[in-house]
Amino acid sequence: MNEATQLITTLLSSDVKGELLVLFHRNTGLVDTVEGVARRIGRTGLSIENDVRDLVKLGVLKTKKIGTSEVILLDRNKDREVLETVANHVKTVKGAGN
Amino acid sequence: MTTPASRTRTTEFEEQFTGGFRNASRVKTGIIELDEMLRGGFMGGDAVLVAGSAGSGKTTLALQYLVNGIVKFGEPGIYVTFEQMPDQIYRDAKNFGWDLRKLEQENKFRLICTSPDLLLESQGENLLDEAIKEIHPRRIVIDSLSHLEMFLPKGDLRKEAYRIVSYLKTKGMSSILIWEAGQMTNSFSVTEAGLSFLVDCIVALKPIEIESSVRKALAILKMRGSDHDKQLRQFEITPTGIKIESAFSNYEGLMSGSPRRVASEKFVELFRSASEKHK
Repeated sequence: MNEATQLITTLLSSDVKGELLVLFHRNTGLVDTVEGVARRIGRTGLSIENDVRDLVKLGVLKTKKIGTSEVILLDRNKDREVLETVANHVKTVKGAGN
Repeated sequence: MTTPASRTRTTEFEEQFTGGFRNASRVKTGIIELDEMLRGGFMGGDAVLVAGSAGSGKTTLALQYLVNGIVKFGEPGIYVTFEQMPDQIYRDAKNFGWDLRKLEQENKFRLICTSPDLLLESQGENLLDEAIKEIHPRRIVIDSLSHLEMFLPKGDLRKEAYRIVSYLKTKGMSSILIWEAGQMTNSFSVTEAGLSFLVDCIVALKPIEIESSVRKALAILKMRGSDHDKQLRQFEITPTGIKIESAFSNYEGLMSGSPRRVASEKFVELFRSASEKHK
């Protein structure tokens, strides 16, 4: 499995990841704790923890320390790279299908 | 021969030392009538409380202040929201013709959506530090201060609000702090929370019922170190933002929630109807 396919597989591996991606893309200035982010998509912190960790590993989201709290936010630069990789992959797959 | 760069430096120098500094120290809202009411704009670096009930136009006024700051006066700005999601704010702003996403891409604007407790963090890096480094803002809006109250032990709001206001002033930003007052209430409960001493200026927005229709009113309740318009002015939210109109000159008791026509107006009306009967 190449890098792009692996990336897409991870991104689409759960509903929560999809919800998080939509949330952060629509609201690029969102900076909140896991609990705060969870509340904004109607879930609990515990239920999104693993998905947040996966997205941080991919580089779409990043973590930061604000005072004593750890917050998550969109990594705008890395996110752009990820989007480009996905777009290129879709183009390649489409091209191969034609 | 003077180069454009040296001309700019000379102009800046002249402005600072020949009285222009006084004008420069005013922070214009860009809403002409409001700036007139404020005798030129808010005082530079001041903390301004915009108080009003839901739907009174607080967010619109605050956004217009930021957008005008960027577009008309070249002053970058930050909007911090605790409750409303950014996508809603981007959409609503676009309805007034303000493209906030574009301003963000141009590094002139940042919309930060967060939880109040993160703004209250007192140790280590501040939530706003990164945005401040990136865009060097001169204006900021906190929406809203009343939301902070929910995250604080009773009686701590004044102390924490003071810390936030001081931080913003230290960073050289002129701020608008939004305060949500109760619906149709006669007072703004700002004094109850002890915030009126903390801020330099208070702008109150209030819905007023006159002859079975609800109108919007704006008043400047306080402006430290400056004269200001004392009248209660009617305003409208138009497709291009807030438009301030004439004063409610024919009414009294508007702030107390019991508006009535002033005696002279009643007399004129009685006289008119009497003379019409005699015709």
